[in-house]
Amino acid sequence: MAKVLEGPGMGLMKKWGIHVPQYAVVTSADELSKLGHVNDWMKQSKLVAKAHEALGSRFKLGLVKVGLDLTGAVAATKEMIGRQVGSITVSQVIVSEMIAHKEEYYCAVKSTREGSEILVANCGGIEVESNWDRVKRLCLDVGQAPSHEALEKLSKEAGFTGSLAKKMADFAGKMFSCFDNEDAQYLEVNPVVTRENDGELVALDAVTLLDGDAKFRHPDWNFQFAAEFGRSYSKDEMEVMAVDSKIKGSVKFIEIPGGDTAMLPAGGGASVYYSDAVVARGGKLANYAEYSGDPPDWAVEVLTEKVCSLPGIKNIIVGGAIANFTDVKKTFGGIINGFRKAKGDGKLKGVKIWVRRGGPREKEGLDAMRALKDEGFDINVFDRNTPLTDIVDKALHK
Amino acid sequence: MSILANKDTRVVIQGGAAGVNAARRMAEFCYLIKRPLNVEAFVYPPDAGKTNEVPYGSGLIAIPIYKTIAEATKNHPTINTSLVYIGADRAMKGGMEALDDAHIKVVSMITEGVPEKDAKLLGAHARKLGKVFNGPSSIGIISAGACRLGVIGGAFDNLVLSKLYREGSFGVITKSGGLSNEIIWICSQFADGITTAIGIGGDAYPGTDYVSYLEMFENDPQTKAVVVVGEMGGDLEERAAEWYGAKKRRVKLIGVVSGFCQESLPKGMKFGHAGAKEGMKGEGSARSKSDALKKSGAIVPATFGALGPAIKDTYQELLKSGQVKEPVEPAVLPRLPKSIEEAMKADEVMVAPLIRTTISDDRGDEPCYDGYPASELINKGYEIPHVIGLLWDKRLISKQDAEIIKRIMMLSADHGPCVSGAYGTILAACAGIGLSQSVAAGLIMIGPRFGGAVTDAGRFFKHAVDNKMTVDEFLTYMKKNHGPVPGIGHRVKSLRNPDKRVKELVGYVKSLNIKTPCLDFALQVEQVTAAKKDNLILNVDGTMAAVLVDIGFPVDSLNGFFILSRTIGLIGHWVDQKRQDSRLVRLFDYLVNYAAPKRREVPPLK
Repeated sequence: MAKVLEGPGMGLMKKWGIHVPQYAVVTSADELSKLGHVNDWMKQSKLVAKAHEALGSRFKLGLVKVGLDLTGAVAATKEMIGRQVGSITVSQVIVSEMIAHKEEYYCAVKSTREGSEILVANCGGIEVESNWDRVKRLCLDVGQAPSHEALEKLSKEAGFTGSLAKKMADFAGKMFSCFDNEDAQYLEVNPVVTRENDGELVALDAVTLLDGDAKFRHPDWNFQFAAEFGRSYSKDEMEVMAVDSKIKGSVKFIEIPGGDTAMLPAGGGASVYYSDAVVARGGKLANYAEYSGDPPDWAVEVLTEKVCSLPGIKNIIVGGAIANFTDVKKTFGGIINGFRKAKGDGKLKGVKIWVRRGGPREKEGLDAMRALKDEGFDINVFDRNTPLTDIVDKALHK
Repeated sequence: MSILANKDTRVVIQGGAAGVNAARRMAEFCYLIKRPLNVEAFVYPPDAGKTNEVPYGSGLIAIPIYKTIAEATKNHPTINTSLVYIGADRAMKGGMEALDDAHIKVVSMITEGVPEKDAKLLGAHARKLGKVFNGPSSIGIISAGACRLGVIGGAFDNLVLSKLYREGSFGVITKSGGLSNEIIWICSQFADGITTAIGIGGDAYPGTDYVSYLEMFENDPQTKAVVVVGEMGGDLEERAAEWYGAKKRRVKLIGVVSGFCQESLPKGMKFGHAGAKEGMKGEGSARSKSDALKKSGAIVPATFGALGPAIKDTYQELLKSGQVKEPVEPAVLPRLPKSIEEAMKADEVMVAPLIRTTISDDRGDEPCYDGYPASELINKGYEIPHVIGLLWDKRLISKQDAEIIKRIMMLSADHGPCVSGAYGTILAACAGIGLSQSVAAGLIMIGPRFGGAVTDAGRFFKHAVDNKMTVDEFLTYMKKNHGPVPGIGHRVKSLRNPDKRVKELVGYVKSLNIKTPCLDFALQVEQVTAAKKDNLILNVDGTMAAVLVDIGFPVDSLNGFFILSRTIGLIGHWVDQKRQDSRLVRLFDYLVNYAAPKRREVPPLK
């Protein structure tokens, strides 16, 4: 799942005929001033300025300013750009026109097992979140498009009447087109509002999650996907992502500040069981990591170096199930090289390493790991006869 | 019994290298259970018409490759299953092609990173046709003792350790590929092993869910219990719980779910498979799934580690109630033949080598010449003549000797287009022949009359010097035993018109403070022969030969110096003709002396 920031998200909606406010994404106050000279709407309407970053609670952080004139928006932009929030530096601001409105509504399209679901409510903003029963749904099978009648029925069920019911049906239909054609996994507009001057429904805010796996058929997705956990990716995370995008198989790495148990397990499935075991044992995860699909040894080496660089770690869990086709000797070779480099750089002092693995060439791989003891590593190696997550119990045994 | 994959399963594999690798693994399994290979065909348009060679035991089986599924099933009408190893951008098209073929009932997609919408369309299409679409991102399906689809089950040793050669009583359904193997192993150690294990893939919306497979297991009398390994995200586990709790089921359900760590992680952070994502309102969390399974009556161990004992307890109950009997292990199992390399490594065989070499070895990360790594030679200032010394005479020659060799090579690199070698190359080049053949055409001219006298000249001069012959004794010996002295005489050069190359080389070597007995002797011979006839001078071949013998090269290598040097010129001539786009050359009639009989009548055939 790939999150898309508001600007490109609104761009996609606009492409599919959904009314969105006039907006511009700027990287400096100066740029906004210049845009103000050529865009009448910036002078004629009240403006909203928001930090254009993958940040939660922007309002509370003072990163959303409303009811501004152009001068105010330029000032707000100046203030926001460069602000540091956690690991994120605000580098973009989205400035959009304020749409005068009274009523707020809700519309979303989400992916389901059968296909998708269109959600509509005749309340919006925070009201809809506390009145979830007012959201009405239209379920669709994959490959099926909603008929106009079905959409109108949905709209009426949600409490829309008269011409507004037609307009909401039309809006929801366009949302579906956007969802279906852009390989979206989730689209949400909250609120949808009626623009006072022409009575059209306008999307004031957009949550857009796209299917990153479908990027190959969307050459116009010229935007970056945003991290989904309220912070930007760290340098090490980005480096591992760059490696991941180049190789057969995969390597994954996410840092969790403050933890003391570092994870270096194999497999998308087993890695989560290892993380669970750490949490169940009262340990604190320092990261998530995973390698799978028989990745090249150099990729696993890069991942290992990043794991070894995590601050304050006491244990490293090199776990893994019995591999189907990942070559244990080769991937362990990468890990061993990473360990040696880390040790050479003065890392891994007082860090215990715990290994459990099976799979092709398991004996050679485990023997090579065991041999690290002779190089002064504090390493404990187990084979398939030790149950999967027992090394976590051993590592965190007080 | 088993589900989905059985002894009648016949397979077409869609895709290239990854598919071939899977076929190898499948062949290992077929070999283990003593059944013929279940892969009938490949579909891979780039290689259509060829075959893929799949090792089976110690032999190889050629499996045909087709352009389309229709061609494959037409030629192999027993095919009923397809494995899809096609790239994510074309996977849906391939999957649909397989589903739409009347012969195929099961399609399992191994491809990862398939767009969600494509996976849903494939799943929906299969349901409409009453077929099974498994995956995407599936590690495969394996039925113990019957059929392996994909690489599930891992290496051959693991197949044996996990007792996959015979049926057990446990069904397995997992999203994770690695964990499928782990559970198969656990079932074989804590119980009697598996019936069928299915990897449904870790995507958000796998084509077939737990419930469909649970229904199949419920209807398979051999399967007594099913182990489901779940993950947070989606609602497959909840649906499985709902199915299990709906009425009394014959099979026991054992389930674990991962993702409890999510509860103590920063909001929005998610790990694992694509499908491992919590819903907007907390649905799909590990806890809600785990609770739902418990409520339905399933056995839900608290941790993954407790799964083994839970499976053991279930097995013991099944034994006690007489529903299962202790399995009988076969006395002997086939062993996968080792490759020669593996067997040699294990000291199990001795192989008499076919050839022997004493000069070079490139089995490491770079070639070694007589033991010296090429890069080290370069970095320590050694040059081409030193490499010649190492490869031709297995010794590191001195800087001075290297300089002599360099000069010899420079002097004999080319001698214009008219000599036999260059002319041969030019003729070939003009006929449009390629570089290596044209150069070879020039090289085959090197022999007793052209350039090939170096070795013989060296041999005879050396013989004379070694036997301390006088010039007269030598000339008598040659005349009596061999004829003209090689290295003496030139077609156009003479005492009055000396060969500048010889002068240059002799001058240089003489200027060095080294002993040159052969060269000295050769020059003495020249004194005598040239006095007899003006053009019986020491030629360039003889000079080279004498000098090379003096600096210690073995006589058998001497022609090599001319061949090597002249190759430089021959390559130059070929490139030169090519650059000019030269036309085919034909001899003019006036350059031929037609001495053949005049035209005459052919007599009748007798």
